[in-house]
Amino acid sequence: MGGTQVAFDVRTAAIAITSLAAFGALFLVAQRAIDAADHFDPPTLTDPKVDPLPDAAADIADVYLFYTDTDLVLALTFSGPQGTGLPATYDRDVLYRLNVSNDGDPRTTEFPIEFRFGHDGTSAGFSVTGLPNGVTMVGPVETNLEKDGILARAGLFDDPFFFDLQGLSETRQTGTLSFDNQRNFFANQNITGVVVQIPRPMIQDGNRQIDVWSETARFGGQLE
Amino acid sequence: MMSRPSTLALVFAGAIALASCQEGSSFTSAPTPTPTPTPTPPPTGATFNVEPCLTQMVRPGVTVAILFIPDTLKLDFSQPSLFPNGRALPDPVIDYTLAALFLDLTVHPITTLHSIPLGPPANDRPFRSQFPWLAPPQGNPPLDQGLGRNFDIRTDPASAYVRVDRMGMPALATALISGANRIPYNDDDPAVDFTFKWVPEIQGNLTVLTNALADDFDRAGLAICAEPEA
Repeated sequence: MGGTQVAFDVRTAAIAITSLAAFGALFLVAQRAIDAADHFDPPTLTDPKVDPLPDAAADIADVYLFYTDTDLVLALTFSGPQGTGLPATYDRDVLYRLNVSNDGDPRTTEFPIEFRFGHDGTSAGFSVTGLPNGVTMVGPVETNLEKDGILARAGLFDDPFFFDLQGLSETRQTGTLSFDNQRNFFANQNITGVVVQIPRPMIQDGNRQIDVWSETARFGGQLE
Repeated sequence: MMSRPSTLALVFAGAIALASCQEGSSFTSAPTPTPTPTPTPPPTGATFNVEPCLTQMVRPGVTVAILFIPDTLKLDFSQPSLFPNGRALPDPVIDYTLAALFLDLTVHPITTLHSIPLGPPANDRPFRSQFPWLAPPQGNPPLDQGLGRNFDIRTDPASAYVRVDRMGMPALATALISGANRIPYNDDDPAVDFTFKWVPEIQGNLTVLTNALADDFDRAGLAICAEPEA
């Protein structure tokens, strides 16, 4: 990969770090490296502290990609985390896409798997398109949809991400971070998500690499 | 998994503190501007070359640079389904990512920081063992009852929508892209990443972080991947 040959530009930055011992060892991390997976990023579009009208519904939290003996599983969480008394977010004007490449070239998207939401009265539903074999599905949220062995679901879930963010907040306020591995900001939080499970023979091309990235887009343009 | 209580503390102030560092307090308190940190000179003048970090192997055939550029999750079916080979729900991605970026992986396995553990080692709810895999929501939120048939789902082409967010690798945009570049980075895609457009940005930010953290890893008895500049 030729990229590492590029000379870097060391930005002017001033950082002071001290540390305290824990179990006889010191471990420090830069706070920016551990904020979250992607929650509230990009800030000027999705961060309520920066954008007066943040697009929470389109704020990607995390993307997951794993396989079992039989299936490939992809999941996308968004618009969270949130308290356990709040409903899910099914925004009709947001397009959620999992861009899947199965040919080993990450620049191409063989399967643009798209999720969209809509309503029937007070009931929410979703569609998923771009699946292998041209499979599309439409149905209610909080229900497993199945077609040709492919499963899809949209719903409210426990937020699967785990990390201590309280320490980071304290760092910002006091300049001193107390980082505790028994403290998980994402505990007792829910989040909206979509999950799709695809039989491996339908999407696996030998041992060629699978690449996945996610994107959200808003109908008619970003919130102003 | 049992976790040992661990309190780690650090003083951190600098130009790299980002307004994007959201800890979620916005859900429980009124938005407040992120204070501008007072720049403080680094404790040492040491500077490091992080190229050995970008070129070290995180798993067979995959360097750190390849892992992050382009910004996609990458999955090899011939290897175990464990981050950074894909990203399974229970994987401690932050501890693994930090190890990959800072530690000499020929000395310390990528599991080193997780084995402490540095952060909380697992989710607070067990994941399902089958589809949909994620755990059910906690508490008693209002849930749809799986009703409805004729949903008013848009059929507009994707071109009628405007990008808001993108994500592949966890923490990448947050950790290694500076604030001014977050939007342009967010608006790109893996094909652009593949032109190595963002390598200077990623390498520069990793250098800043490494210069700040190197002595602390050293005191922790951990060998880093970066090499001191001559």
